[in-house]
Parts: sequence; C-alpha cells; structure tokens
Amino acid sequence: MTSGLQNQKMLDTGAERLRLLGKYAEPLMDAYLHGELDEAALGERVIQRLLQARIVWRPDHEQGLKLRPQMARMVASMIADESRRQANAEVGEELDRIENAVLSYQEAIVKGQHSYAELQLQSVTEYVHDLLGQFDEAIDSLWHRLNSHFGFVSSLSEKIRENERAQKQIRRLLEGLEQISLGDMIELARDHTPLRKLLVVHLQDRLSTHHASLYAVQERMIELLARFREQQSRAVLVQNMAAYLRQNPQFVPGDYTWRSKVPDLVNQSSPIVPAAHAALDRSADTEVLAEIVASLPTRELKPQSATGEAAAVKLADDRAVQAKEQALKDDVERYYVATLDEDKGLSALAFLKQQKLNWDPEIWLFQVLAEYQGLNASEREQLTLDYCQSEASIFNQLQLIHDVTVRIRDVA
Amino acid sequence: MMIHGPLVERLLSGQFVCAVTAPEDFARLQDETILQALNDYLRPLNRRIATSQDGSVFFLAWCELTPELRDQLRAQFQVTLNSLLPLLDWMQLVQEVLGKDSTVAPGDTLKLHEFVQKTEDHQGLRQRFSQLASDRFFNSQAEALDAQVKTVFRRLKEHGYLEQPHAERQFYVVTGKVDYLLELIRFIRDEENLPVDDTTAQEELWQ
Repeated sequence: MTSGLQNQKMLDTGAERLRLLGKYAEPLMDAYLHGELDEAALGERVIQRLLQARIVWRPDHEQGLKLRPQMARMVASMIADESRRQANAEVGEELDRIENAVLSYQEAIVKGQHSYAELQLQSVTEYVHDLLGQFDEAIDSLWHRLNSHFGFVSSLSEKIRENERAQKQIRRLLEGLEQISLGDMIELARDHTPLRKLLVVHLQDRLSTHHASLYAVQERMIELLARFREQQSRAVLVQNMAAYLRQNPQFVPGDYTWRSKVPDLVNQSSPIVPAAHAALDRSADTEVLAEIVASLPTRELKPQSATGEAAAVKLADDRAVQAKEQALKDDVERYYVATLDEDKGLSALAFLKQQKLNWDPEIWLFQVLAEYQGLNASEREQLTLDYCQSEASIFNQLQLIHDVTVRIRDVA
Repeated sequence: MMIHGPLVERLLSGQFVCAVTAPEDFARLQDETILQALNDYLRPLNRRIATSQDGSVFFLAWCELTPELRDQLRAQFQVTLNSLLPLLDWMQLVQEVLGKDSTVAPGDTLKLHEFVQKTEDHQGLRQRFSQLASDRFFNSQAEALDAQVKTVFRRLKEHGYLEQPHAERQFYVVTGKVDYLLELIRFIRDEENLPVDDTTAQEELWQ
C-alpha cells in the first residue's frame, strides 16, 4: 500500500469518527458529566460505532459505557474543567521519539532519500510541538486554577489540598523541563539548518518561556496557599475564641492600659470634631460668604407663629420693660428741664455723665431725639438742637451723631 | 497639607482608615513623608498615627499617657471586650448563613436581602440570629427578622466594622477593622496564654 493511499484511508476514517463526536455531542457530554452514557437513548447501532471509534468503552461487564480517558481529558482541556484536567509531566518518552525521528531523518539525507527525509522532518516538528504543547496545556491549566482560586472545589480544606497537588505538578514539570538539555539538542541537530532551527532556536525559546511561566505560577500558588491557610486560621480562631468566651464567661484579661508601654492595639485616642464657623474678620472671605448667603433659600416667615412668640415674650417682660421705659423718659425730661437753666445749651452726654445715669449713651441720645420729636411744633420752635456729628468714613458719607446739645432759642 | 485635611479629620473623628473605607487616604498613609508630616501636625494634640501589626488599618493613638487617659483607655477596652463575643458570634453566623468556608474579610460584600432570605429558611440559624440581635451590644427589640438584621448591620456600621457605600441601598462592605479585631483577639490569647488554637490540625477535630 503506498503512503498516499494509506493517508487517504486514515483521513476518511478519522473524519468519519470525528463526525460522530459532533453528531452525538450532547449524549457524550452528558456521559462526561454524569459518568455513564445513556445507552437506551442512543440505540444499539450507534453504540457499536462509538465503541469502534474508541470514543467510549466498558471498563467491566457490570458497569455502563464510559468515555475513554483520552476523550475525557480532551473535553476537560476544551472546557477548562480543572477538576479533571491533567498535567502530563512525562518527558522521557517524547524525547526518545524526537531522537528516533532525527536519526531517521539524517539517515535518509545520507542515502539521498529526500522525500522520506522531508516526512521525517515533519515528524520531528510534530513531536517537538507535542512536547511543548504538553507543557503549554499544563501551564494553562495551572494559571486557570490559580486565577479561579480553585473555585471548582467548594471547601477551603479541599482548596488547600488542590493547591498542594498543583504545586507538586509544578515541581514535576520543572524536573521534566530540566531533562531537556540544550547541549544534547545541539549535538543531535549537528549542522542541519532546519533541525537547528527547530531543536535549538525554537525549542530553546519556548522552553525558557515555559520555565519563567512555571516559576511565576509557582510563586503565586505559594502565595495563594498562604492566603488559604490564613483564612482557615481566621475561621478556626473565631470559632475557638467564641467557644472559649462562652465556656468562661468570667474571663477578664489583664489591664494592658497601665503598662509602661501600652500596646498600640489598645491605645486609641478619643475623637475630636474639628468644627469651624463662618468668619468675617478677613475681607477676602466676605465675597464668598455673601455669595453663600445670597444662594440660601429665603425662609418663609410664618406670621402666626411669629406673633405667638412675640406675644409670649411680651407677656413675660411687659412690666419690667415698661418700668424701664418710664425711667428713661423721666430722666430725659429732667435733662430738658436742666437745659432751661443753661444759656449756652447743655450736651446730652455731658448731662448723662454729670448725673451718673446708667443709660447706654446711644439709647440715651435716641430718647433725647425722640422726646424732641414728641414736642408740639410751638414748643419745638423755642429749642435748638445742635448735632455733633461726623462722616462714617472718607468713603461713606453717612452722618454719625456723637452727641446732641439742646439750648433755648435766643429770642431775637 | 491642606489636601490631607479630610484624612486628618477622618482620623481625628476616631475612624479607622483602611483600604476599604478610604482607599486614597490609605494609600497616602503608606508614604513615610506624609505620615511624618501628619504626625508632626498631630503632636500638639497628643496624638499620633498608629497601625495594626499587619498594617491593614490606621487610627490615632495617644502620644503620652496620663493617668486620666489610661483610665479612659481602660474603659474603652472594657467596651471592646464586652463586644467580643457578639462580634465573634456574628462572624460565625455570617459564615454559616452564606455557606462560606472562611470568616468575613475586608472587602467582602454582604447583601442584607440575601442574608435575611438565607436565615429565614433555616430555623436553627433564625433562632441563633434572634438571640444575637437581642444581645446588649446589638440591642434589637424587634420581633421580625428583617428589622433585627437591619439593626445588627446598622450597629456594626456605627462601630466601623461595616461600610454602607450607598445610604439607600441595602448592601454593606466589610472593613479592615475586622482584621484589627482578630489581631486584638490573637493578642489577648497570647498575653493570657488562652488554650485557643488557630492551626489547621485543630480544624480537623471540629469539622
């Protein structure tokens, strides 16, 4: 049989069997998940074909049909099912295959069988890729497990066990990588350019990537394991401390606050609230404050409650205020009487001081002016009021009255 | 210095600063120069920035302790001690209710609704939670589970163990103060030589 015909036959059978996978994808996935194939649903003929294609098998007579291990592994890898994915760290076998293919290739070259040599080179390429792919798959699986924090198992102790298993795998993979010696590969390739390219350049390049990746994943695994252990230890601590406190309700720890060096854990200062208020003592702020005030919603006055409050205040203070008002009025009257004796007039503030009266000067002046306004016109004509006043500032022409002098108008 | 104003106020008001409650402030406190500047500022207030051993929370401690301050610390410590058991019970309950295999940790999100639902379905948990809610520390007078859960979570927020990112939404995030609490428990255990183990060997016994 020529190799062409043989290839054609392999292609036909392979394609037909691969089609079986597609056609029965769901029952097969069901078997993957539940462990057994549902034979009743498929029928005898289909089952025979699946058995022939070595997709399923019957491990022993009493059991149902199961996926063959390599099928299950393929599915596990395709769907990244980390609970069933396997990392193959076996390197020796692959290395032997590569070596054999290289030797056949070199023999063919020597004999001048160029097409056969071509075929052998293709085999070497495939074996190298198989070898690298094996590491690739394992490393992918490791990262996947790491990044999902071993989410495929539920309890923390299982996660810890899975992590430890992964770390063992990493160690085996690293040992496997070490078996691949670059020196051996250089020797094997000799001066054949395609072999050198494959066995030295490509392999070397990929192996160093794998090496770095494995160390990185190993470091992260160790970190994650430490975190798992810490989590576990927290849970145990909480559990045991709660149990202890419950069993020993009288437990009182020592007084750590009277030690010469108080541990930071129990040294917590009491809170302060740093309050601040609007201040007008800095001219730069006034504009901002004015804006804030302007933006405030105006408060609606409620007339009813306003009078209510005012009435209450009035009731309480009424008599005292009235008495005070009357006293002020009397004093101001005495002042006016006193001015009658003074030709040149009498300063209101001077009278206040002279009589040692206890009124606030401003209120005093107001009352003096109010009394004047209260006189009838003919009486007012006989009196002259002199204001001692000044402008509020050079920019403000508001007149401020500092004092008032009342005198009898000269009868001309 | 002004940009650190909110951070200083947060610390002065007695809050714990962790990566969950204030990530930006927490990042600032990692900077030795900023820490030094803030400590210089706090010195006249007799305060300094202290941290838990694992560095996961910052808070203010007294610089110098007078007898009055020591008394004050003792009273404060007493309050914390009284809250230990209810807090530990709460942590265990959360773990059980949510079916987790680890204790609540900073950054964990707790949904009030989910918590109520899962507790409701389980008579034993429901009873234990009611008992916990009526503890002096949580002090819930309510009969209904929903109200009890609300009170318990609100109290934990007031004490800084939980943070509520949105006032109107009923989910909480666990803060770094939980780590502080566990550190305190370890500290007490070591100081008092309590027979309280936290190694995994012990775990096999109770599992």
